[in-house]
Amino acid sequence: MKRVAWLTLVFLALPATAMAQSPEDLANEISNKVSSPFCPGVTLHDCPSQSALDMRDRIEGYARQGMDEAAIMERLEAEYGPSIRGVPSSEGAGILVWILPSVAVIAGGVLAWILVRRWTSRRPQQTAEASRAAVAFSASERQRLDAELGRLREES
Amino acid sequence: MSPVRSLAGLGRPSLLVALLFSLIAIVAFIAAGRSGRRDLSEAGKRALYATFGFTALATISLITALLAHDFSLSYVANYTSRSLSVPYTISALWGGMEGSLLFWTTLLTGFSALAIARAPARSSRLVGGAGAVLMGIAGFFLFMVAFPGNPFAQVAGDVPIDGNGLNPLLQSPGMIIHPPLLYTGFVGFSIPFAFAIGALFTKRLDDSWFTATRQWTLFAWTALSVGIVLGGAWAYTELGWGGYWAWDPVENASFMPWLTATAFLHSVVIQEKRRMLKVWNVTLIVLTYAFAVFGTFLTRSGLLSSIHTFSEGPIGKYFLPFLALLLIGGLGMVAYRFDALRSENQLDAFISRESAFIANNVLFVAAAFTVLLGTIYPIIAEVFSGLRVSVSPPFYNAIFTPIGLAIIGLTGIGPLISWRRMSKGAFWRMVRIPLVAGGLTVVALGLGGLTSLGALLSFALCVFTATAIIGEFVRGSRVYRRRDNAGPFTALSRTIARNRRRYGGYIVHLGVLLIVIGFAGNAFKVERRAEMAPGDTLDIAAYTLTYEGVRTATTPEKDIFEARLAVSRGDEDLGPMSPQRNLHLAQGQWQSEVAIRTNPVEDLYVVVTGFDTDGSAVIRTFVNPLTWWIWAGAAVMLAGMLVIMSGRAPVTVAAAKRAPAKREAAVVR
Repeated sequence: MKRVAWLTLVFLALPATAMAQSPEDLANEISNKVSSPFCPGVTLHDCPSQSALDMRDRIEGYARQGMDEAAIMERLEAEYGPSIRGVPSSEGAGILVWILPSVAVIAGGVLAWILVRRWTSRRPQQTAEASRAAVAFSASERQRLDAELGRLREES
Repeated sequence: MSPVRSLAGLGRPSLLVALLFSLIAIVAFIAAGRSGRRDLSEAGKRALYATFGFTALATISLITALLAHDFSLSYVANYTSRSLSVPYTISALWGGMEGSLLFWTTLLTGFSALAIARAPARSSRLVGGAGAVLMGIAGFFLFMVAFPGNPFAQVAGDVPIDGNGLNPLLQSPGMIIHPPLLYTGFVGFSIPFAFAIGALFTKRLDDSWFTATRQWTLFAWTALSVGIVLGGAWAYTELGWGGYWAWDPVENASFMPWLTATAFLHSVVIQEKRRMLKVWNVTLIVLTYAFAVFGTFLTRSGLLSSIHTFSEGPIGKYFLPFLALLLIGGLGMVAYRFDALRSENQLDAFISRESAFIANNVLFVAAAFTVLLGTIYPIIAEVFSGLRVSVSPPFYNAIFTPIGLAIIGLTGIGPLISWRRMSKGAFWRMVRIPLVAGGLTVVALGLGGLTSLGALLSFALCVFTATAIIGEFVRGSRVYRRRDNAGPFTALSRTIARNRRRYGGYIVHLGVLLIVIGFAGNAFKVERRAEMAPGDTLDIAAYTLTYEGVRTATTPEKDIFEARLAVSRGDEDLGPMSPQRNLHLAQGQWQSEVAIRTNPVEDLYVVVTGFDTDGSAVIRTFVNPLTWWIWAGAAVMLAGMLVIMSGRAPVTVAAAKRAPAKREAAVVR
């Protein structure tokens, strides 16, 4: 069991090794990340216009010249402005759009945790009684109780 | 000459009469809600039925005008043509803004009539409150279609001989079904929303409002789910970019209410079983309906094109105050009745199914918030900076993937935890087999060379959750196998039939897992594009495509240019594939028709993006692994929902208390 857990951890920790990409694959990947200047709200990859196809060819040309993804993105940004990147800016107000979803998950999680703790701690009497009852069980009785509860659960 | 005679002259008068009846219904229902008098409630019902009747008459009038090619109506001239086939001519009803608003309103009044007619007779006050809300919403939409969004407006100047025709992209079988299903989902949520607000108005805050609307909620959710999947299928087969979901604002508009409605479907179970989360459930249904209206507003106001288009458009300035009223009014009522909505019970333990459901709700609502943020950010940025920015899939994928994976994990953990409480030891005993299965999946796929962390986690979590769910079926069936000595299939069918809601829910979850497997396959997508002369070949993954040339044909609607491709895999001849690039004559618009060879392992997807005069063609080809499972998963989800809806209504804690003799049976359920 432990071995399985270790192996799982090792594989999870493995970085996604970058495969050697052909210029066409790199162009496809980039076109999936940039907004099309020709189709509002659509990535370059998904934009069906001829201008978009030409722009994809140009990106593939950059890749054939040996430019990597970061260099091509910078080149595109210089040509079309920062809005070519299909993600909110990581500066100014744009950063809020990146942060707020995580804040929502964390704040929601903390709020839910506080509420659940509060709701479970408002039963001191019952909990104390339940604890006493639990203490009174022997190991075999507890096992039997779990089994019976499991059976009830299956039937319900 | 069309055999159908246009009844367009009846359209607008019918809408005005319907508007009048909706106002009468509002007054009668408010009075019934305040006094509890059944005669007033009956009067409201009759006015509601009349509202529906006249709205339906207006819709029939517009359909006859479409079929009769009555181009004196600008709507008919804008969205149809004489060469358009009958099914697409009828589908033009929702092809434009004015027609879709009329269709929305007809569904709304029809659903309202059904829901109010089927509501328990003893709940006059609740029916009064809900009826007033429904008729208030109907009144707004009737005003919209009678005045600013009138589909019966006449063309300016001479009546054209032929119309502009329907957008070629909308001329697809999927588009005949997809929009009505989305609208059915959106409008369906009006019913639980109205009953919730009606309950708040009339202070009938027991379980009546959600038991009266339970089937409606399930129905709306199912319609919306199927509608969303069909939209993806339409995008996949019609748009020619090899994908099914682009996080487009129109797609997001349907996804946001789906997320909050999914949270509601789970959290309402806690209210049924434990009489808790009342504030949260009402809030969720208010948010769901507000998102549904927001979706309609977003897609129909012109806001997506530009903030300027929106302010110049005919309906945006009405929709925004209506949306604000729904949100402020709905949430204001929740705040006003906050004390009366307090939970009547407490949780027994931290490790309990209730806790898992609450965590699930946090994730679903955070997901909806993320989609909202990404959708409206370009609008906000334009308002403040004047610059139009785009939020594309990389943003959504980065934020949504971890949330989605956490939801999948919880989907597996949830069924393993008991209601009320569970010891850590019992929890571990339940979770260890799914955990091992998930871990082994990671190891096997890792050793197999899978390097994409997202795909690896997706597959592992799917196996974890599927093992947990299948375990539930096995444990449930075991009881019947032992007790009745039944065979495995008999035992399984008895297990499902005995508790359709629970096991139907598990079937829905299995469908979701299949869909996630399909999404994960996207990580291994391969794409190639080439300009090919006749005789040229293109290799992609294990396939070889040989271009044999172009075939042309002409129909009254379009000029067809078809690329003929011979496909093989190794030595195996897979036959021809024939993607098309067609010129739609009425619109002068080019449209690609993709060719797809599909199987559970992968789709070979071919689209032709252009031809040259020398007969060469630009061919774009994709190999999309596991996409088939998305459609299969959707079918499984639908089957699960049908199982749930075929079951009896759940017995709530309150109902069990009302019927002490049946309490024991009720608690077991």
